[in-house]
Amino acid sequence: MTTESVATKPPSTVRVAPTVLAGIGAFAAVGTYVLVSSVGLGLWTSLGPGPGLFPFAMGAVLVAMALLWLLQELRNPSETAPGIDRGLVVGVVASLVVLAAVMDLLGFQLSMFAFLLYHLKIRGRRTWVSALIIAVAGSFGAFYAFNYGLNVALPVSALPFLNAIGL
Amino acid sequence: MDTLNELLNGFAAAMTWQNLLFAFLGCLLGTIIGVLPGIGPVAGVALLIPLTLNMDATGAIIMLCAIFYGTAYGGTITSVLLNTPGEAASAITTIDGYAMTKIGKAGAALTIAAVGSFVGGTIATLGLVAAAKPLGELGLLVGPPEFFALMVVGISLLVALAGKSMVKAVISGALGLLISMVGIDPVAGAPRFTFGMDRLLDGVSFVAVIVGVFGLSELLSYRKGDQPAAVHAPNLRSLLPTGREWLRSAPAMARGTGIGFGLGLIPGMTGSVSSLLSYGAEKKFSRNRHELGKGAIEGVAGPETANNAHANAALIPLFTLGIPASPTIAVLMGAFLQQGLTPGPTLFTENSEIAWAIIASLFIGNLILLLLNVPLVGLWTSILRVPSSILNALILLFMVIGAYTINFSVFDVFVMIGFGLLGLALRHLDIPLAPMVLTLVLGPLMERSLRESLEISQGDFSIFTSRPISAVLIGLGLLIVFSPLLKLRKPKALNEDPET
Repeated sequence: MTTESVATKPPSTVRVAPTVLAGIGAFAAVGTYVLVSSVGLGLWTSLGPGPGLFPFAMGAVLVAMALLWLLQELRNPSETAPGIDRGLVVGVVASLVVLAAVMDLLGFQLSMFAFLLYHLKIRGRRTWVSALIIAVAGSFGAFYAFNYGLNVALPVSALPFLNAIGL
Repeated sequence: MDTLNELLNGFAAAMTWQNLLFAFLGCLLGTIIGVLPGIGPVAGVALLIPLTLNMDATGAIIMLCAIFYGTAYGGTITSVLLNTPGEAASAITTIDGYAMTKIGKAGAALTIAAVGSFVGGTIATLGLVAAAKPLGELGLLVGPPEFFALMVVGISLLVALAGKSMVKAVISGALGLLISMVGIDPVAGAPRFTFGMDRLLDGVSFVAVIVGVFGLSELLSYRKGDQPAAVHAPNLRSLLPTGREWLRSAPAMARGTGIGFGLGLIPGMTGSVSSLLSYGAEKKFSRNRHELGKGAIEGVAGPETANNAHANAALIPLFTLGIPASPTIAVLMGAFLQQGLTPGPTLFTENSEIAWAIIASLFIGNLILLLLNVPLVGLWTSILRVPSSILNALILLFMVIGAYTINFSVFDVFVMIGFGLLGLALRHLDIPLAPMVLTLVLGPLMERSLRESLEISQGDFSIFTSRPISAVLIGLGLLIVFSPLLKLRKPKALNEDPET
């Protein structure tokens, strides 16, 4: 459904976008979970307010606001948001997950080198020379700059043979 | 006299070569962040917190403050030269700034913008010097109920002013508070919302959340054609404005300073509102208002002075009352807390030397920016010539390092990824992000003051209404929250402000 068609149809026939409904449902579910969990934490103790009191209030606010938003959407659905570039989202998120999963095993330098090479050569279509130079600077260069320049330790590999050569 | 002595001592501490270097580096990095479209000041400051991890508290905060107000300067350059604002507060400058570039007066526009920013920033810092003592002393009279009420007002203002829908802003604020509650309960010591994971006992890393929600989600929300094409810096025929241009700019700078300073003190007001109102004031009061939109120097001088006065004035509530007035200041407050400093009235009693050194560094930083901004304009625009594929890869590199180095754990990289996806969903649902970052920082302080208040009153909630200051503040908070029912209107500019 385009924005134009939303604008031209009478409000009564316009439906709430599924993504908005999913969002409202998610907030209501989180709020309900927090409400229930907070009761278990204890709302009040003999010393005064318990650890569950503040989360309970926030859970209640979240559920109430989700319901209010649903009512607003039913009366006057909001315009459809522009779509996202799914290829970009999947590419970036998947590469970050793989990087985080292997960083302790392979060390910062090798894992970041591969990560940057993927983004520069495969996603960014840079030339091999520029991709390699930037990937080396961003991985090995950043490792030495942070470890020795700023005294901030980035991880080295957990594999003994890589660790032995400083990777 | 006491204040002057303390300020002079602050200058002595701020002018060590290390602290001058930190201020210089902060200004440089802040300007780069301001120049780059796509990475805003909130994510930019959060991203660079890890650089300061091993510094002493004074140097670290000096550098982060310099990054913060450096972004306000940097945003101007692309507004004037490329018609593309580097950050939201400089958007209005594109109208006359770019018009001046087209008629060969880019150098004059940039110089006036830099001088105006220096004037606005310096006067606002003088305001901070004047307000620090009295407001700090007043703040010491504030007990837990008043402190809680003060935070209610700050959050209410930001919620009321952020985005188009108050319901969505409240959701954002509640989410931030809930995230801040993950971990060990500060009073009873019970674990909350940790899902049995030991890594969550210390809570969720603030930097990982901010970098994910503001930085990664911004990058994920790009669509094809969103990013500007590579550009070339125009020739700057003359950097120096004419005598007439100086004379025309002076009243605009004065008006801009007043507007920016006044609005900077109000939580929820962003630099964009100050620059927009300043432009409006020029349209109304400037002698040359008929030239606005066609390259009038007042259209650059006013807004640029206003947004920098705003940025520096916004530090006053943080330093004196411990209340962040904007999302970027909230990140700065997080950095203060990470360094073991609690912004607010006690800062001037417990860490007086550090506080005054930071204030003195604000003067120095504004001067550094004035000297850096114009002569290095070629360098700033060359950054924009770097293809977006390389910039994005490097931004991702810094995000990973930023998230990892806070606790030296890849778990925080996963946290950043998760919150990046949450931020993308919130953007898609048009939920403002600003209330979330504010409540994320204020959440633990707010909960502690609420519980301390109720312990004092033995569970009696009337403690908030029986004490005059807290009663007035709670009343004000309620008035703000229910302002839509009273049909009070907020500035239209805030609806479209990406900073909120």
